[in-house]
Amino acid sequence: MSAPPGPSAALAALHEEEALGKAYDARLVARLWPYVAPYRWQVAATLLLVAPLFLLELAPAWIVKTGIERVMAPSASPGGGSWLDAVLDAPDRVSPLLWLAGLYLVVMVVQTALDFWRTLLMAQTGQAAMRDLRADVFAHIQRLHLGFFDRYPVGRLVTRATNDVESVSEMFSAGVVAFVTDFAKMLGFAVALFLVDAKLALVTFCVVPFLAVAAVVFRLKVREAFRMVRVRIARINAYLQESITGMKVVQLFTRERRNLREFESLNAEHRDAWYQSIRYDAALFATVEFAQNLTVALVIWWATGIAAAGVIYVFIDWMRRFFLPLRDLSAKYSVMQSSMASCERIFQLMDTQSAIRDPGPARLHAAPPARRGAVAFENVWFSYSDDLQEAVLRDVSFRVEPGERAALVGATGAGKTTVIKLLTRLYEVSRGRILLDGVDLRELPQAELRRRVAMVLQDVFLFGGTVEDNLVLGRTDLSDAEIERAARAVEAHRFIERLPQGYATEIRERGANLSAGQRQLLSFARALLHGADVLVLDEATSSVDTETEAAIQRGIHTLMGGKTALVIAHRLSTIQDVDTIHVLHHGRLRESGSHAELLARGEIYSRLYRLQFESQPGVRAAAG
Amino acid sequence: MSAPAATRAGQPPGLRPRREAFRRLGGYLLRNRGRYAVGTALVLGYAAGFVAIPLLVGRSIAALEQGLPAREVTRRALALALVAAATAAVRFLSRTSIFNSAREIEYELRNDLFAHLQRLPQSFFGRWRTGDLMSRAVNDLNSVRLLLGPGLLAVIQNPPLFLGVVAAMFAIDARLAALVLLPYPLFVLIARTFGRRMHPANVAVQEGLADLSSQLQEVVSGVAVVKAYAMEEVTRRRFEAASDELYRRQLRLVGVSAGMPAIASLLPALSMWIVFLVGGRALVGGRLELADFFTFSMYVYQLTFPTFIMGWVFALWQRGGAAMQRIDQVLAVEPSIADRAGLASVERLRGEIEFRDLTFRHAPDREPALRGVSLHVPAGSVLGIVGPVGSGKTTLASLIPRLLEVEDGHVFLDGTDVNRIPLRVLRSHIAMVPQDSFLFSMTLAENVAYGLPGTDLARVREAAERAQLAKDVEELPQGYDTVVGERGVMLSGGQRQRTALARALALRPSILILDDVLSSVDAETEAAIQRELEQVFRDRTVVLIAHRVSTVRRADRIVVLDAGRVVERGTHEELVAAGGLYARLAREQALEEELEELEAAGGVG
Repeated sequence: MSAPPGPSAALAALHEEEALGKAYDARLVARLWPYVAPYRWQVAATLLLVAPLFLLELAPAWIVKTGIERVMAPSASPGGGSWLDAVLDAPDRVSPLLWLAGLYLVVMVVQTALDFWRTLLMAQTGQAAMRDLRADVFAHIQRLHLGFFDRYPVGRLVTRATNDVESVSEMFSAGVVAFVTDFAKMLGFAVALFLVDAKLALVTFCVVPFLAVAAVVFRLKVREAFRMVRVRIARINAYLQESITGMKVVQLFTRERRNLREFESLNAEHRDAWYQSIRYDAALFATVEFAQNLTVALVIWWATGIAAAGVIYVFIDWMRRFFLPLRDLSAKYSVMQSSMASCERIFQLMDTQSAIRDPGPARLHAAPPARRGAVAFENVWFSYSDDLQEAVLRDVSFRVEPGERAALVGATGAGKTTVIKLLTRLYEVSRGRILLDGVDLRELPQAELRRRVAMVLQDVFLFGGTVEDNLVLGRTDLSDAEIERAARAVEAHRFIERLPQGYATEIRERGANLSAGQRQLLSFARALLHGADVLVLDEATSSVDTETEAAIQRGIHTLMGGKTALVIAHRLSTIQDVDTIHVLHHGRLRESGSHAELLARGEIYSRLYRLQFESQPGVRAAAG
Repeated sequence: MSAPAATRAGQPPGLRPRREAFRRLGGYLLRNRGRYAVGTALVLGYAAGFVAIPLLVGRSIAALEQGLPAREVTRRALALALVAAATAAVRFLSRTSIFNSAREIEYELRNDLFAHLQRLPQSFFGRWRTGDLMSRAVNDLNSVRLLLGPGLLAVIQNPPLFLGVVAAMFAIDARLAALVLLPYPLFVLIARTFGRRMHPANVAVQEGLADLSSQLQEVVSGVAVVKAYAMEEVTRRRFEAASDELYRRQLRLVGVSAGMPAIASLLPALSMWIVFLVGGRALVGGRLELADFFTFSMYVYQLTFPTFIMGWVFALWQRGGAAMQRIDQVLAVEPSIADRAGLASVERLRGEIEFRDLTFRHAPDREPALRGVSLHVPAGSVLGIVGPVGSGKTTLASLIPRLLEVEDGHVFLDGTDVNRIPLRVLRSHIAMVPQDSFLFSMTLAENVAYGLPGTDLARVREAAERAQLAKDVEELPQGYDTVVGERGVMLSGGQRQRTALARALALRPSILILDDVLSSVDAETEAAIQRELEQVFRDRTVVLIAHRVSTVRRADRIVVLDAGRVVERGTHEELVAAGGLYARLAREQALEEELEELEAAGGVG
C-alpha cells in the first residue's frame, strides 16, 4: 500500500500556495475565454452599458451648472439652443428650477437602476461561466487515475473546485472588467472636461502626471509588499500546521518556549510586511483625496475672472469622479492577483493528464472478443513509485479459467489487494500484461472492462443518497423487482426492509447508520445487480457477528455462482473449497494449487494456515 | 479543585456568547489603548479638515463671486490647498495608525493562540482537526482583523464626520440643513431590511459551497468505486445540479448585496436634489449665497462614501463577531495539564515508576482503556509491555510524561505523584519516542538536538551513533545539515524511527520510553540498537512497548496487557513457560520468522 498523503503533503500544499501570481496574465485569461465565450453577448452588454452610465454620470453636474447659469446666477448669454438646451428648457408654466431638479432626480434614479442592472448582469455572466468551469474541474478530477489521489490531498482538490473558482469569478466583478471600465471612464471625464474648457482642463490636469508617477511607484511597491506578505503568511501557516501535527513531540521535548519565540518572530515579520503595505495603501488614498481637493483650488485660482460659477461646479464634480477609481486601486490589485493565482492553480490541475486513458482507435481491440471471463496475468510487475526496486508485485503470472474460482492468499503486504486494482485497471502495470479473454486490458475501453469485471472491496464505499441509489449506482434500467431480487439473493433484503424507510432510507455519512456486515451485504447486492463475467472480491477483515458472517459467506457463494471469481482472502478458513489457491509472498507468486495440495507441500501456505489457527479471534495478526 | 471531567479532557466547550468573545477582544483593545487614542486623535484631525474644506471652497467661490481682487482669491485658494495637504497628511497617518493597530492585535492574538495551543493536552488534538484549528488561526483571525481595521475605523470616524458636517450645515442655514438631512434616517430602514435578507442569502451560498465540497470529497474518497462501476456520468450530473443550485443562490446574494449600496446611494442623491431645489430657490430669493450652495453640495457629496461604507461595516461586524467567537472557543479551553498549586520541590528524577490501581478512561463516556493496573518499575530497570492492538500499551506509557491527564494518587515517579512534579522537570527527565516518528522540517542535526538548548554537534553525533543512524547520515549529501521532512530529503521509515530515537537519546533522560519504535528497523539493526541501549541505560529506566516478542525478551520484567488489564507478568522465560497469551504471541512470531527465513533462503516452489 502506498502511504496515505499525510501532513507532509498538506504542508507541501501550503508551500505551493507561496507562489506569487501576477496581477494579469494574458495566457491565463485566454484560457478562461472558452468559459466566457458562450456568454459573450452578456459581456458585450455590460461593457456597452458603460457608455450610457458614463453619460448619466456627467449629467447631474451639467444640470446643476445649467441651474446656476440660468436661475441662480444668470449671466449675460444663455446657451445657444442646441438639443441639449432644449431638453433643459422648462416647458411653459413650469419653473425652470423645478424642471431641472426633476430631471436631476430622474437621472439619479435611472443611473442607480442601470448600474444595479449592470452589476446583476455581470454577476450572472461571471457565475454562469464559473459554474461551467466548476463542472469541468469536477469531471476532470473524476477522470484522473487512482494513483493521482494518493499524492494529491482531497482538501486541495476541494479548494480548486470551490474557493479557487470563487476567486476567479471575482475577476469579473472587481478585476479585468473593472479595470477596463475605470480606464474608459477616466478617459471620458478627461475628454469631457477639455470640451467644456480646454484651458482650465489643461491647468487642472497638471496634477495628473504627478499622480501617474505616484500610481506607477505605488504599483511596484505594493507588488513587492504583497509578495512579502504572501511569503510570510505561508511561512506562518506552515509553521503552525507543523506545530499542531507534531505537538506531542513539542511538548515531550519541552520546546514550547523556544517555539513560541520562533513563531513570534515569523509572526512579527508578517505584521511588518503588512505595515509596509498599509503605508503604501494609505499613501495612495491620501494622495488621491489631496489631488481631488488640489484641483478644486487650482480651478478656482485659475478661473478668476475667466470661468463662471457653473463651469467651476462642473469641474469640481467631474474631477472628483475622474480620480475616484484610483483610490481603491490596491484593493482591485490584490483581487486580481489572487484571482490570477487561483486561475493558475486550476489550470495546473486541468493540465494533469490521467495516466490511464482509453486506447486510441489504432490500439483499440477490433472486435469485442467472446465474453467468457478468462483472466491471465503474464509476468506482471507493479510499483507505486517509478522504481521497480520497490515493486509490490514481482513477475507474477497466473491464469483463472472461465468459471474457475481462485483465491489469492499471503501475509499482509504481500500484494494481494494490488492485484484487484490492476485487474480493474485502476492502476497500470509497470511491466508485463494482464489479459481478459485474451485481450490486453490496455486495449479495452475502460467502460467495457469495468462492465465485465465487478469489484467488491472490503472497504465498502457508500454514497450520500438512499439505499436504492447505492444499489443501482445511476443505472435507470433496473426495476424495483430486480433490485429486490438481487438484495434477496445475498440476504440483504431482510435488513433493508427493517430500515425506517426500507429501500428509500437515506444513508448517513458513508453508511454510519449501517453495520460493517450490512454494508458488505449491500456491496454484494450492488455487484450482483451489475452482473459481470468476472468477480473480484476483497474479503472483509472487520469482525461481524456469527449470523451476519454466515450470511456473508452464503452471499459470496451466490455472487460467485457460475462466474470466474478471484477472492482475496484474509482468512484461510473461508476459501478451502475454491478451485485454486495462489500464494503471494513478498510480491512474488510462490505456490499454487488446491487447499489439500498446498497443505501437503508443507511450505508457505501450510505455515500461514497454522499461524491462523494459532491466532484466536481476538488476535488476528496474519503478520507482524 | 479540578474542573469537571469533560472540559478537563479538552472537550470543545461549545461557542460562548458573543458578549464573552467581545470581552476578550476588548482586553486586546484596552492593552493597545495608547495606539487607538493616537488613532482617534488623528481621526478627529481628519474630521476637522473634512469639515473645513467645503467651507474653504465656499469662501474662495465667495471671493470670486463678490469680485474680490485676484490676490484675495489666490490667497483663499492657497489656503484651501494647504488645508487639503494637511488633511491628506492626517488622513494618511490616521489610516496607518488604525490599520497598524489592527495588525498589531492580529499579531498578539495569533501569538496567544499559538502559545495556548502549545499548552493544550494531547486529548485536545485528538478531538480537533488540524484543518479546523488552522482555519481559526488564519481565516477567522482575518475576519477579526477586518473588524478591528476598516470596521473600527468607520465606527471611530463616521460620528465626528457626520456631526461636524451637520453642525457646519446648521451654522450656514438651519432650514436647508434640516431638509438636506431628511433622507438619512431612511438608512436605518435600508440597513435593517437588507441586513435581514443578507444573512440567510449568505448562509445559503455557504451551504451550497459546503454541499459541493462534500460531494467532491465523497467522490474522491470513493473514486475506486466510481470508476469500477462507471458512475462518472451520474456523479457529474449530481454535481452539476448542486452547482446550478449554488449559481442561483449566488445570484440571489448578489441581488441583495448589490441592492443595498444601490438603494443607499439614492440617499445622498435625494439630499443633493433638496440642495438643488430648496437651496436654488433660497438663492434666487437672496436668502443664500452661491458660495453656500457650493459648500452644501460638497458636504452632501462628501457624505456619500461614509454612508456607502456603513452597510459594509455592518457585515464586517457580523462576520468579525462570529469569527472572534470561534477563536474564543479555542482560547477558552482550559489547559488541563499544567503545573498547579502544591508542586513538590523535585529537581531530579532517578527513574522509579509506580502505577497504583490505575483505571483510565479517555473520556467519561468511554470504556476504560486501563483497568486496575498496579505496577512497580525500579529505577534503572527495563520494563517490556506487550499485548494486542488496542490493549492499552501506549495509553499506559503516555501517562508517565503526563501526555494524558490522570487523577491524583495513581502514577508516581520516585514516590512523588506525577501531577505534583513540575512539568519542566518531568519532561526534561523523560524522553519518549512516540509510535509515529514525527520529524520537523529542519536539518537532521536540529531534529536530533530538538530537546537540547542548542545544537550541540558532539552530542548529536553521539546520539546518532547510538541509534545506528550515523552511517546513514554519512551517505546523505549534506550530512547532518540535510533538511529532512517536508521540503527536504525524504527518509525511509526506518531512518525516521532511528532519527526519532536519536532525538530522545540526545536528551540523556532518566526514563526512556520507546513506543514500538523499531518496527520498521530490520532485525539486525534492531539487535545492534538493543546492545547500545543496554550500554547506555545500565542505570536508567527503560519502558519498551513492543509488538514483537523479540524486542522485549531481555527486559527485566515484562507485562502483558489485554483489554486494559495486566494479564501476565514475569520474565520472558517465565511467561513462555506459563503458556498464556505471551507464549502464543511468541509462537506466532516464531512462525512468521520461519516465513521470513523462507524468503531469505529464496527459491522455494
